[in-house]
Amino acid sequence: MAIDENHSPQNRNAPTKLSATIENGGDANNVFSPRFRSVAAMAGWDEEAILVASLVVEDTPDRESREKKRFYLQLKSPPTSSRRKRRAKKRSTDSIPIGVLNLDDEDTAGKEHATKTMELKNDAIEEKKEKEGGVALPAKASDTSCSGSALPCMDRLREELSCAICLEICFEPSTTPCGHSFCKKCLKSAADKCGKKCPKCRQLISNGRSCTVNTVLWNTIQLLFPQEIESRKAAGALNNREIARQSPKKGSYNTRHIAVSSRRESRDRERDRDRDVTSRRRRRVPNQVEDAAMAFRLQREEFMEAFRETHEQPRNSFISATENLRALASRAMASTTAINLRGINCIACVIQPSCKGLENVGQATFQWLMFYHSFLLV
Amino acid sequence: MNCPSSSGGGAASVAAGGGRARSSATSVSVSGKRIQKDMMEFNINPPADCAAGPKGDSLYQWIATIIGPPELPYEGGIFFLDITFPPEYPFKPPKVVFKTRIYHCNVDSAGNPGLNILKDGWSPALTISKVLLAIRSIFTDPDPRNPLVPGIAHLYLTDRAKHDEVAAEWTMRFASLAA
Repeated sequence: MAIDENHSPQNRNAPTKLSATIENGGDANNVFSPRFRSVAAMAGWDEEAILVASLVVEDTPDRESREKKRFYLQLKSPPTSSRRKRRAKKRSTDSIPIGVLNLDDEDTAGKEHATKTMELKNDAIEEKKEKEGGVALPAKASDTSCSGSALPCMDRLREELSCAICLEICFEPSTTPCGHSFCKKCLKSAADKCGKKCPKCRQLISNGRSCTVNTVLWNTIQLLFPQEIESRKAAGALNNREIARQSPKKGSYNTRHIAVSSRRESRDRERDRDRDVTSRRRRRVPNQVEDAAMAFRLQREEFMEAFRETHEQPRNSFISATENLRALASRAMASTTAINLRGINCIACVIQPSCKGLENVGQATFQWLMFYHSFLLV
Repeated sequence: MNCPSSSGGGAASVAAGGGRARSSATSVSVSGKRIQKDMMEFNINPPADCAAGPKGDSLYQWIATIIGPPELPYEGGIFFLDITFPPEYPFKPPKVVFKTRIYHCNVDSAGNPGLNILKDGWSPALTISKVLLAIRSIFTDPDPRNPLVPGIAHLYLTDRAKHDEVAAEWTMRFASLAA
């Protein structure tokens, strides 16, 4: 069906193309010298064959089907005993190009074909609609329609490719050493909760190997049951998003970590972040550890930039930022003494992953702060 | 969920109850989904002499019946079982209890069947059909070597005729429709 549809535009174009070629053919008829014709006749070629041959030479790929059709028509016409008679007959109809008959015939054929393809298309559209309806219907209905149209053994395949644990189509199947396949997730939780035995044959399974996805099987399943896999993927994504929403702290931590790692940032952005800090504080209960970390980070960045630009730019360009920073820094000073050691350790990790040891960090913080203050005083 | 047996008056009513509860199952959790799949599988291909379905609105509470297989002292009896699925199902076994008294060496007085697959031998690949099939198999093949009621096991091994007689009497008294 799909092939027919692909061919249909070609066929619709066919008449015009054909008329052009027929004209060419007519020309060719005139172009062929009588001598050539006689030689051809001696060789057993009639005009038709010459014409066809010339057309074939002209452009090979498109002609082939038409050529066949022409031969077919030739066969259909009442067989004449002698070649000369046939030739005479053709000469008599020379005023009317030979192709015209063919053209008409093919035109009608083309029309027929077009209507046929239209019907097929309509069918296809209807089928599509049905399928779409199937999607809207409960899963089971669409399943049956799928299995009805695609493969007769689909039900059996579904059975074979189902995970014995969740009884659904294997999602990211992983295969045990004993050769049984389950969803990766299912197998993992089975190994966790029911011991490291194959759920099907109770053979021992090593955990590391069982958690790799059987790629061939997975690809096959994705090809065979794209709808179900898509829906399960969507469900999985939804679940993940919900999990992410439930624990947003982790996300913010990550972004902050990234922000820390990229040290060279424009002052504007820094100011934005400054605002962000204050807004966050407004939003949430102020977290001492976080504040201290933020203050320390901002302060260090400030210092770095100031150190870089001291000679070109006087400090008044970042005076607004330092206003905030001073407050934060003093808070941090107060809090670093107050918060427990683990808290500081945490900050250290956030701020400077390269820093090792608690005392170093503490000292570093203090030194930074002192340096910063002295710098401001200068 | 049609009971294949001819003498399934009680089982038919249970089956009707099971069919009703399906629409009310709205749980989307893993265990809920799995139980629904179990139910579908069971309905498509129920084991012989067995019927099962949710008791009420909860998917996790089922009731099942097994009809005593023919040519056994349990013939003609209808044995009711309660099935309770844990939230961790299928990674934990369902709890199955005989509600009908039965004279059997592998079923204790509280109705707990001594089936290994319901304890340590559980596998997440097992379904409720397979569990019921296993329970049905202890009717036909009692295991007196690992009994829950040693007295019955002893009688089974020493005086099979007496054992069968008592079992038939119990079936008549506790498990038949007239009772």
